[in-house]
Amino acid sequence: MGWEDELRQAVSEGDEVKADEIAARALEEGASPKEVLEKGAVAGIYEAGRLWQEGTYFLPDIILATEAYKLVMKRIEPLLASGEVTYKGKVVMGSVEGDAHDIGKNIVVALLRSASYQVIDLGVDVPLPEFVAQARELEADVLGMGAYMTTTMRGMAEVMRLLEEAGLRNGVKVIVGGAAVTREYAESIGADGYADNAAEAVELVDRLLGVV
Amino acid sequence: MTSLAMARTQLRVMLKLNKAIAYSHGLRLGSLDGYERLIAGIYGTPDRVPVIAQPYTYAMGMHGLSAKAFFSEPKPFIHASWNMARYFGVDFWSPVFDFYNIELEALGQRLIWRERSEPDVDTSDPLVKSEGDLARLRPPRPGLDGRMPFVLESYRRYLELMGVPPMAYACSPFTMAVLVRGYVNFVRDMRRNPAFAHRLLDFLSMEVVTPWISKMVEVTNAAIVVMSDAWASQPNVTTDMVREFCLPYIEKIVRATNSPLRTVLDTGSWGERAVADPREVLDIKMEMMTRGNALPALRPLFLLVWNEDYEEIGVSTARRYADERKVCLMLNLRPDLIESGPPEAIAEKVRNLVKEGAGTGRFTLLINLVPVGTPPEHVHAAVAAARQFGSYPIAPDLEGRTFRMPEFTPFAEWVQKEGLPV
Repeated sequence: MGWEDELRQAVSEGDEVKADEIAARALEEGASPKEVLEKGAVAGIYEAGRLWQEGTYFLPDIILATEAYKLVMKRIEPLLASGEVTYKGKVVMGSVEGDAHDIGKNIVVALLRSASYQVIDLGVDVPLPEFVAQARELEADVLGMGAYMTTTMRGMAEVMRLLEEAGLRNGVKVIVGGAAVTREYAESIGADGYADNAAEAVELVDRLLGVV
Repeated sequence: MTSLAMARTQLRVMLKLNKAIAYSHGLRLGSLDGYERLIAGIYGTPDRVPVIAQPYTYAMGMHGLSAKAFFSEPKPFIHASWNMARYFGVDFWSPVFDFYNIELEALGQRLIWRERSEPDVDTSDPLVKSEGDLARLRPPRPGLDGRMPFVLESYRRYLELMGVPPMAYACSPFTMAVLVRGYVNFVRDMRRNPAFAHRLLDFLSMEVVTPWISKMVEVTNAAIVVMSDAWASQPNVTTDMVREFCLPYIEKIVRATNSPLRTVLDTGSWGERAVADPREVLDIKMEMMTRGNALPALRPLFLLVWNEDYEEIGVSTARRYADERKVCLMLNLRPDLIESGPPEAIAEKVRNLVKEGAGTGRFTLLINLVPVGTPPEHVHAAVAAARQFGSYPIAPDLEGRTFRMPEFTPFAEWVQKEGLPV
């Protein structure tokens, strides 16, 4: 088995230590960072996503696969030359103020990255004006917000208001999700889209940016 | 609690239990108070659907209290919660604090405090970062460390006010393990280092949760102790993981702390909507309640199904399952609906839940969370609708009945006349 298959397998099986070792070895042996990314890490996370969709994998399997993917990315990202990787779009994403939950968001971030989006993860408990400031500064194509508690979900409506106030609303697509959020709520606050799970989130972003 | 006081409480509870259970099976020995209604609703048919509430942060907000005061000072916590429950006229309320954090904080876990919401575990800084950290953990001194004294004093005050023991709360070892390790780490432990996961769970079960439950029981003589287990939910963990890493520890704790007159159970998980067959999760939930409890048919068990799940799988599915297992079905009222209203929509929701879920009994409505800032008329509407539509036997023409919004005194006025000082 070549390093490509080994890395794909280690990522899809969520073995982050092994994945990182294989990535390091492949780089040492002359593979380019772009090859390691595309033929190993992305292929592995794709495989995990496929197994999830078909019902073989459960959420914990995906979590471990994204952790392995993240570790490989940490190694190769600084080595990628500027412009070597082209992105389908730029997504700024975080859990809204008061909310420290990030499992769902982290999966969405990993799957979006594996689908060739540049994702800036703002983390958890993000102050509401920060979403607007970052969307402006980073010229985001998509702004994603996650809320996992009913009490924090209301912050999303406030961000929508702040985006309008800042004159940014027409320039950025807003997507929302998380355990507390429903499609109805997303519509009620005027978000551009809602995703029930991470795979759906990727399809949603593709659709909103017209890349499919 | 002295042994005499303990005996008195036990006798009072026994009398209430007997009356409620007799009522639930058709033997009416007078009208029911709220506590008796809840018990009757758990075992059979009460006079009407019981409504229970967790005052929580809404009580805090109604009184303008800071999170620090509400979640660490017994008097404002209990008085504000009592005022809220009394003002809205719910049948029973539990003094609910941030029960996932108490044992963890006593172990040394850092919490994040905010002004207007409950404290959260700082997940960026889990207490057990590596396998070696487990050996360094010292079990809390039950009732002495962290905010354990706050909990015990709050329960004592509750008992004094209500005359019956509170439902006592603990964090389940499984959820505690997730919080103490971080979710990803604990998933990794379960998959790659199960021996360590079991060692951690054993420590949390026998050195942390069991002594804490024993202490709470010693102080309150609680008849029901609930271990909350939000993390034992699908799809975050698989049902196989729950069977291997959660259920055995529940059983160990229950066997160490329950008695014929005390039921210790595990609940609070969710996820029926996340699996192909919701019964798989309902089965797990039943096991979480019954493991280690001898004669489960005699125990006050309640199958709690959250709105996110029953809206997907249908109330009738949950009802059918509860009927098969002869257990009380407990459904919560959707917090965002209570918040957004209007009262008519809330009443309509209650009507539908009663119509689909109330059956001939073994049914309870739970107001688990009212978001801070919710207009009080929304909560009044929920309670009034349960009274108007929830009388047993449930009217066959429920849909044709008109909801009447009750008149009520503004909270500030009420609290001045009838409330307790916070």
